[in-house]
Amino acid sequence: MSKSRDIYRRMKSVDSTKKITRTMEMVATAKLAQAQGRVIRARPYSAELMDMIARLATPDLAESRPLLRQPARIERAAVVLVTSNRGLCGAFNANLIRTAQAQLAELDEAGARVEFHVYGNKGISYFRFRGVEMAHTRNDLGDPPTTDDARALIDDLAARFVAGELDAVRLVFAEFRNMVSTPPSVRQVLPVGVGEARKGPQPFYILDPSEEEILDHLLPLYVTNSTYSALLETAAAEQAARRTAMKSATDNANDFLDNLRRTYNRARQAEITNQIAEIIGGADALDG
Amino acid sequence: MTATASAERRLNVTVISPSAAAFSGAATSIIAPAHDGELGILYGHAPMVVLLGEGLLRIRTDDGPRRFRVARGFLQVLDNTVAVLAEEVEPAAEN
Repeated sequence: MSKSRDIYRRMKSVDSTKKITRTMEMVATAKLAQAQGRVIRARPYSAELMDMIARLATPDLAESRPLLRQPARIERAAVVLVTSNRGLCGAFNANLIRTAQAQLAELDEAGARVEFHVYGNKGISYFRFRGVEMAHTRNDLGDPPTTDDARALIDDLAARFVAGELDAVRLVFAEFRNMVSTPPSVRQVLPVGVGEARKGPQPFYILDPSEEEILDHLLPLYVTNSTYSALLETAAAEQAARRTAMKSATDNANDFLDNLRRTYNRARQAEITNQIAEIIGGADALDG
Repeated sequence: MTATASAERRLNVTVISPSAAAFSGAATSIIAPAHDGELGILYGHAPMVVLLGEGLLRIRTDDGPRRFRVARGFLQVLDNTVAVLAEEVEPAAEN
């Protein structure tokens, strides 16, 4: 008689887990919609900045602008990993961590001295547990991230790049392509790469004050902005990953519940059949 | 009508901050706070990139004036399309 009760207890447990995962799924869906809106609203600015730099930067100017300096060899590099503070988002953080490790290994192999910056509790606790040295850790990125967060992350690194203490700064983050595709990516924030973005014939521009001065103001904005957009995309990707993970957890709980319910009904019927058999048996014994 | 003829002589203006586009639409003229003083732009302006200072950006549209307080930004003019990019963009009182 206890078998059906055991199954019933498990059904209750799975059901309450399902309530939690379903709620988290709905919360993530709502947050995802907001975060996605932020990513989309931020795109015109990035595109326009990129466009202006591509029009202005010429190869000989690149020589003289410290932020455009292309080191022949990377001797010292910084890798910045952005992870989430909270879990229950599937393989989201694991993927980011794996990508960061690949970056570290690659730079290490090339003979570069690498310093490692980690944002978000998940990444910090992973690397702390493994005893990996981290130059800088932070877990107080805003939700949503702001341009101030981006500046706090990159300003110091940019200053050291300009001073020649670093030859490259790479950001490991989650790219937000759409709701279901949020692959981990690496973005080289410094040096600023303009080569691939070169425009065709340049229109004749009036430049005020001078080309150099405009670039000197434009490039730091661009560096901050590419950091900012990476933070925004990671925040959106986290919600997307959490929604997917919670949806499959809920689906799984449903399947599990169906199975349990079937087993439960069978056990209950077996018990009833058993009891009837016993009663009939008892009655037969009395009659006889 | 003259309205249609003049409607063609409009600047296509966008004002963008890192987090969102603050304004997007047609305008007859713009007065922008350039780094060294105010700068007016009308239809047919030559291509230009200019560094902005801190101050009031005034856009004259067919539906009345729009004003924004901008800081740390740039303005680009190309083919009667004006893009204003600024780290800080805030709508200012219209008067």
